[in-house]
Formats: sequence, structure tokens, C-alpha cells
Amino acid sequence: MDLEQLRKTAAEVVSREDVKYLIGWKKGTYGYRVAPVFVEDAAGAAELFFSPLCTANLTTYLTMAEKLPLPRGQEADKRKVALMVKGCDSRAVVQLLVEKGIHRDQVVVIGCPCPGMVDPALLAEKYKETEKPVDLKWDGDQFLLICDGEELAIPRDEVLAEKCRLCRYPNPVISDILLGDPVEKWEVAEDSGVAELDTLDINERWSYWQEQFSKCIRCYSCRNVCPLCYCQDCILDRLNPTWVNRAVNFSENTAFNISRAFHLAGRCIECGECERVCPANIPLGKLNRKMAQEVREKYGFEPGIDPDAEPFQASFKPDDPEDFIL
Amino acid sequence: MSDSFEPNIVAFLCNWCSYAGADLAGTSRVHYPANIQVIRVMCSGRVNPLYVMNALQQGADGVLVSGCHPGDCHYMEGNFFARRRLGMLKDLMEYVGVDPRRFHMSWVSASEGHKWKEVVEKTVEDAREAGPFEGFRRRRIDW
Repeated sequence: MDLEQLRKTAAEVVSREDVKYLIGWKKGTYGYRVAPVFVEDAAGAAELFFSPLCTANLTTYLTMAEKLPLPRGQEADKRKVALMVKGCDSRAVVQLLVEKGIHRDQVVVIGCPCPGMVDPALLAEKYKETEKPVDLKWDGDQFLLICDGEELAIPRDEVLAEKCRLCRYPNPVISDILLGDPVEKWEVAEDSGVAELDTLDINERWSYWQEQFSKCIRCYSCRNVCPLCYCQDCILDRLNPTWVNRAVNFSENTAFNISRAFHLAGRCIECGECERVCPANIPLGKLNRKMAQEVREKYGFEPGIDPDAEPFQASFKPDDPEDFIL
Repeated sequence: MSDSFEPNIVAFLCNWCSYAGADLAGTSRVHYPANIQVIRVMCSGRVNPLYVMNALQQGADGVLVSGCHPGDCHYMEGNFFARRRLGMLKDLMEYVGVDPRRFHMSWVSASEGHKWKEVVEKTVEDAREAGPFEGFRRRRIDW
């Protein structure tokens, strides 16, 4: 994508009367770091950029904005928020629209067709991160790592994020402004992580997840980063009744992870953010992708595609499968 | 162990059909296993997946959710929602490695005392085969 075009469009959007700010990506402090940026005026748009390192899903900031009670006589700021989205992020926007978490006239969606992002952890593991500023670019079937004027070609498959390997919607499904041309869809890899677990026997699966969930430190990063975890009163924070205790032990960790996976069943848009931020490296993607797969195959439903759809768990079909019922 | 093991089953029954069905089984002097602890809810659609998980955490070896037959719900469509949600929960728990024999769902109407007996027998039998469910117990903290 042409960065000049991106910055120009962004500057035009933020200068609009009815736009409060624009949420985009900017270069982080060093190495492969990328930070979210809130652009409030046309000058700030010069910071924006879009590269294979922009893995983060910015949709989560839409619902994070604090809504303080207003002093009497003061009007709420009803201006729109502009947001840069990739294919997966745009599905989160659609899912928020479905759930009426946001209104369509509150957002300006700037779509960025995405040829696939890198996994920052994988990249740092293979190509050591230094303090120098780095540029990463798409170049056909490879990524081009530019550091200190030296170019290094990295094969695409080597560092491509897992969510992108399985991506079915590289182009934004919803956008007011589309930057650049839509990218060509690539062949979706087989979800080997889920398929592998499916072949295991039930006790082996239990011990696998027992091992994984035991690592959980209950930092709730997965919840906080998730664009679709925006309940004002989260059940995990409730103390009376305490559905899930705060103790960090296997029983409570399992209850926490199951309840989160269940809450996302039929809502998860597979942006892979939970797995990316997990400090304990729990493969949460395997859990959420499995549920998404079940919903797709058994119920013929895919979240985040149609803004007019009914939410999955708040609707039913008379012919839903009921082979499990005695 | 397996001979003497008596499973604890928690059953969530809807007020309008299954609870009345279980009541009918009682008044008709139908014998069924006494391992079942009944909790009455107003509708099977009321059953939150967290109820099921909490039951398993707090000592249940199996959980049964029972409601009206599809189309017979007192609230028109509550059991349809229950079917979709709890079906998903069953799949999820199976994926995480919880034995699918520990969680059952059934439709029992107010006139089906005998079906209730069969459902309970099947649930208890399955839970007995699956054995005590220790892995998921909430840990007691003795200070």
C-alpha cells in the first residue's frame, strides 16, 4: 500500500468536521515495535503507517473509550471515530454492529486490504530484534526486512502469523474508504492445531489442556485485548455471586478459559489477539478457532460478515442439531 | 471402587415440563436412582453454562439439563436457545477433555414420568462409567 495515499486520506478524514479522531498504527520506539496512535489533526497523520508488523487489532479501542457522566447542560461529543482496519479487524467491527456495541454512524471505517501479517514473536525469534529502526515490506512471495539500508528477503511462510495462514477474509468486509486495491485471496492452510487435538483421545486432550491452563496467571490480557470483550460488568469481576473464583489454580483457570471460550462461541472473528498477548503462551487460538469451526459446520453461521445478522447465541433455528439430546 | 461409587448428578429441570414430569414419576411410584439432585429453574433457557461448570466444580460428577419438547416451551422459544447454547457447551467441554458422558440434555414433558426414569437411569449409568470427576473440583482452602 502507498503510505503517501494512506497519510493523505487520513489527513482528509481527521480534518472533517464530524470526526473526533482517527485510530491507526505508528512505528514503535524500536525494532519491530508498532504502537497504536490516536490522530486528532491533519499534522498527526504523518506518523501513520501500515506494514506487515501491524498485527494488532485496533477495533478493541472503539469500545474502550471511557464514557464519563456529563455535567448538567453539557452535550455529549457525538463526533465519529475513524478506524483503520485489516480484513480480520473489519469483521470485529461488523460483529460489534451486530451486537449493537457501536452504531454505524459512529465510525468511519478505513479499510486496508491486508496481504498477511507477520507474527512479531516468530520474527524476533528468527531475526534478532535490535534497537535500530526497521522497515518491513511486502514483496510478492516474501517479506523485505530493511535495516540500516541493508535488505533481507524473508520467505513469507517462515514468519507469517498463524491467523493469516488460516485467513479467509484478507479484504475488509466493511469499509467507508478502501485504501489501495483489494488483495487476492490466498489458499487457506489446514488448521493443523485443531485437527491434531481432534484426533487425540479424550484423556489426552484433558491432560493437554490441563497443562496449558495450569500456565494461566489470570492476568486477563486476553479479555482486555479482545475487541469483542466489552461487557461493562464482566462476570469474571463479579464477587456476589462469584461464578469464577480469582484463585489461580487448575479448576478456576479451566472455568475461566471455558467461560471465555464459550462467551466467544459464535462471536470470535479469529483475529488471534488473545493468543498474541498471552504472557503464558496458552494456545487460546486453538480453543476459539475450534468453536468457530463448530459454529460454521454445525450451525452454518459465520460471525462478522453480515451487519444485519442476528447474534448467534441470541437466536435459533428450529432445525438446529439435537443429536446429543437423550 | 467402581462398584461402590455412587455419582452425584445435578439436574436442572424446567418448571413447566420436566419438573412436573419428575413429579409425575414420583406420584406414580416409579423407581429411579436417587443419585440425582434436582434444581428447579423456570425454563431450560435459563440455564447458564456457568451453572453447569459450577456444578462440576462443586462436586457433581454429571449434569443433566431437561426442558420441554421443542415447540412446547411455556415461553415459546426458551428451549430452542438452550439447545443451541448447551449443544455448544457440550462440544466445547468435549474438546477440552471433559467426558461427554458427564453432561446430558433431554426433553421430558409433564406427562412423561417413565421417560424421566429412563433419562435418569441413563445419566447415572453414564456418570458411573465415567467415574468420579476429581480433576475439575474447586480446591478447598484450609487456612
